[in-house]
Amino acid sequence: MKNKKKKIINYSKARKDYLKKIRKDKVIVLFGQLAIFAIFIGLWELLAFTGVLDPFFFSSPSRIVTTIIDLAKGGNLWIHIWTSLYETLIGFALATVIGVVIAIILWWSEKLRRMMEPYLIILNSLPKIALGPMIIFWVGSGTGATIVMCILICVVLTIISMLNAFISCDSDKLLLMKSMHANKFQILFKLILPNSLPQFISVLKINVGMSWVGTIMGEYLSSKAGLGYLINYGSQILKLDIVMASITLLCILAAGMYFLVSPLEKRYKK
Amino acid sequence: MDNLLEFKNVSYFYQTKENEVKALENVDFSVKEKQFTSLVGPSGCGKTTILSLTCGLLNCSSGEILINGEKVKKHDDRIGYMFQRDHLFEWRTIWQNIILGLEIQKKHKDEKSLAFAESLLKKYDLYPFKNKKPRQLSGGMRQRVALIRTLVLNPALLLLDEPFSALDFQTRLKVCDDVYEIIKSENKTALLVTHDISEALSMSDKIIVLSKRPAHVKEIYEINFEGASPLAKREDKDFGKYFEMIWRNLV
Ligand SMILES: Nc1ncnc2c1ncn2[C@@H]1O[C@H](COP(=O)(O)OP(=O)(O)O)[C@@H](O)[C@H]1O
Ligand SMILES: [Mg+2]
Repeated sequence: MKNKKKKIINYSKARKDYLKKIRKDKVIVLFGQLAIFAIFIGLWELLAFTGVLDPFFFSSPSRIVTTIIDLAKGGNLWIHIWTSLYETLIGFALATVIGVVIAIILWWSEKLRRMMEPYLIILNSLPKIALGPMIIFWVGSGTGATIVMCILICVVLTIISMLNAFISCDSDKLLLMKSMHANKFQILFKLILPNSLPQFISVLKINVGMSWVGTIMGEYLSSKAGLGYLINYGSQILKLDIVMASITLLCILAAGMYFLVSPLEKRYKK
Repeated sequence: MDNLLEFKNVSYFYQTKENEVKALENVDFSVKEKQFTSLVGPSGCGKTTILSLTCGLLNCSSGEILINGEKVKKHDDRIGYMFQRDHLFEWRTIWQNIILGLEIQKKHKDEKSLAFAESLLKKYDLYPFKNKKPRQLSGGMRQRVALIRTLVLNPALLLLDEPFSALDFQTRLKVCDDVYEIIKSENKTALLVTHDISEALSMSDKIIVLSKRPAHVKEIYEINFEGASPLAKREDKDFGKYFEMIWRNLV
């Protein structure tokens, strides 16, 4: 963005007004966003405080904050956060790598691609949570099962999107590479992969969300730690404050991860 | 002058699931060294097929294609290909685009090839844009880059598949001139495919008119217009006469 900054020129009045309006709109939108947040939190707190909403069922912003502080003092909170974060990051990374590698293999061999197509469609439409009990039998309960769940949820879509990106490459560009005598490796690394970068970044963004779904599902199924575990635990001992506090933390973590990935888009999507 | 390229009774069929498509039928012509030859014919008649056969991406169903008297091979270094669109890779700089072919053929560390690439950039006014991305260049400049990308590999025969048809009319005349000048000053033999008769007339020493699909050679014209550039050749007094003859032959 910085290099786009124009040098100081004498803009016309219309141009000045236009730029002013853009800046003003930006401020209004930002203000609106903050206002929505403040109103939501304030109303929630007010309704809980006056007893219109039963804080036992609906918790309240202040109770969520105290619960988080209490949990943090207990020392276990960090273990739960770290466990979920770790499972999500590993699941996200493995699913992305495995998905891209499989997509490359399927791009390489058209016959294999056609053989695998119906199975990919079936796997894509299968609700992966249905495999939950099986996963526990296969890899045992705990972190392993959660990571596997995470991978299952992300990997099929990664394969399908990346494969689509690979095979939709302009046929004349392929012809160009061939006319320069490129072999298949060169076509892959010099054309297909860089050409699919925008789709890859979209896939990353989708996978951030999906891997959190996988982690929470996995932790619901069986776990001894993690935010999903904490949500489950809170609801079982009827402490909905704990549930809401965990959900709040989850929101913050997922949003944080999303904002780490999205600058890539600005940089490479053009 | 010797024949650089010879098509001898070449036929070609495309195999599709539904049927066999006969694209070429006994195509017979030759291209002399340093000559600029154009293939003119209606859309879909088989012009691109002729180029694909020439560079060995397809094998002819019957007949023979000779380059310098030898049969074409799959990976023939003597041939360079230029497409309708420039197909510059947006993620590469102009320089990286230009040495793409050198990279593929593992010559990108070869001093002489790199020096040649650099000299072409300088000669054709693209040196200041060396480190720019393709999207920062105009359509005409991009097409020049595409031509240089092909020339860097130093092919004897250039195949040009409607390289100007994606440009608007103004740019087209200018790029036509540029490409013509580059090809002539680099002493290349060129085979241009086009469906634009005046484009063919303004650039060629020889025009081969093809029939509808399956393509066969309908007529061959030797052209000898006054003028150093395509734009100047358009002023020749016989331009209109030839245009009309070829146009009649096409429809
Ligand atoms: N891969 C292919 N499979 C089947 N038919 C093809 C294929 N490529 C081209 N054709 C057919 O062959 C004919 C000639 O194609 P082409 O050489 O591309 O024509 P031109 O370049 O003159 O427009 C067209 O009718 C086209 O439909
Ligand atoms: Mg064509």
